Amino acid sequence: MDADVDVVMRVAAGDRDAVAELYDRHASRVLGLAYRIVQNSSDAEDVVQEVFSQAWRTAQAYRATRGTVAGWLLMMARTRAIDRVRSRQARPASVGDDHLDAVPSDSPTVPDQLIATEQAVQVREAMLELPADQRTALELAYFEGLTHTEIAERLRTPLGTVKTRIRSALSALRRSVRS
Amino acid sequence: MTLVRHVEIMEKLEAYALGQLPEQDRRDVDAHLDACAVCTRELDALNTVLAGIGESVPAKTPPPALRSRVLEAIAKEPQDRPAPVPIAPARQPRRIQWALASLGVAAALLLAVGLLAFRSEQSRRQLAADVSQLQERNAELVERVQRYNGQADLALSILTAGDMREIPLTGQQNAANTAARAYWSPERGLLVVADRLPAAPPGRIYQVWVIENKVPISAGLLDNESPGRGMLIVTPPRPGAGGMVTVAVSDEPPGGREAPSGSIHLLGSI
Repeated sequence: MDADVDVVMRVAAGDRDAVAELYDRHASRVLGLAYRIVQNSSDAEDVVQEVFSQAWRTAQAYRATRGTVAGWLLMMARTRAIDRVRSRQARPASVGDDHLDAVPSDSPTVPDQLIATEQAVQVREAMLELPADQRTALELAYFEGLTHTEIAERLRTPLGTVKTRIRSALSALRRSVRS
Repeated sequence: MTLVRHVEIMEKLEAYALGQLPEQDRRDVDAHLDACAVCTRELDALNTVLAGIGESVPAKTPPPALRSRVLEAIAKEPQDRPAPVPIAPARQPRRIQWALASLGVAAALLLAVGLLAFRSEQSRRQLAADVSQLQERNAELVERVQRYNGQADLALSILTAGDMREIPLTGQQNAANTAARAYWSPERGLLVVADRLPAAPPGRIYQVWVIENKVPISAGLLDNESPGRGMLIVTPPRPGAGGMVTVAVSDEPPGGREAPSGSIHLLGSI
């Protein structure tokens, strides 16, 4: 059995030590994505804590047939990080909010080749090959959680065009994963 | 599940996977996913790609204090209760299964002997009739070969078209084991092939649909004269709009319909 799935099954069975193992295996990736979305270390670390709490509470609902453990954790991280950005935007700005980053942006990252799956490498390469307008639309949807309408407003582009760009981008990425 | 409804949901899957749908739409998709294996598979594929985007972001080493913070937080937290597991129906006792099995063997033997006797009498009588039928059939075959040659040319031109897109079709209901594909060239036409296709329900035929912008257009009837096989080769049912294309096969009354009314058996989009 996949070692990741084995860990999640132990978490589901109520083994708190398995959460530590899950954390050691995936925290750097969850933090990387959370940071990419919320753009500051303190919020990104809060997201990491929320994600592992949620994983602990809901591990029984994880289905290996529906995706990898990393995918499951990153999906939670994305949702929570976007929620955080949205609620931050909704309340008035206060000191600290715009402090991008206590950690310098060139802080050490875990070498990608040590953690990225082959699939992630394929997706990243395919992302780089996308036409710029498709990549921008997809990034706004994925990293900023903008709806198609919001992206259309942000880019001053017709809604239909935005939909087509995102659909084409996702199709291209799917083809890259399949091949 | 109607075809139009399926296409409506399919259009929403990307927004659903990206978490962009309003609550009501999200619940609609959830309800549909419970009943539709095609959309569930489509969603899984989308989620795989989205997870890949997440994984492609460079990782960041967490500060050591974060680990203890996470573990302290879960130490106080209870887990959600698991959903109740449905109780499987009790199996029949082994001895009864054996008795049923041996009854089955005896019945099958009787049936086979009966069938063989019936067949030999039948074939003797048919031999004479067959000779005249063969001649008739010969003429029919010649005509069919000519038609197939024309179709083979069209199939070749579709398969080699620059704008050709391959659409895997997924079997629904009784066609779950069917292997099927559509090859769609908006310029030259549509080729649909299916293997291990069950016969259409009694009194029904298979009809092929091309759906663009939620409007299903008939592409014609699926030829499934050879058992288990299905094929259709046609020129474009209408000019392609260039967007998402869905190809579906439904069962319909003989002669087909203007719009799909029966169950869907094969389905795919690109």
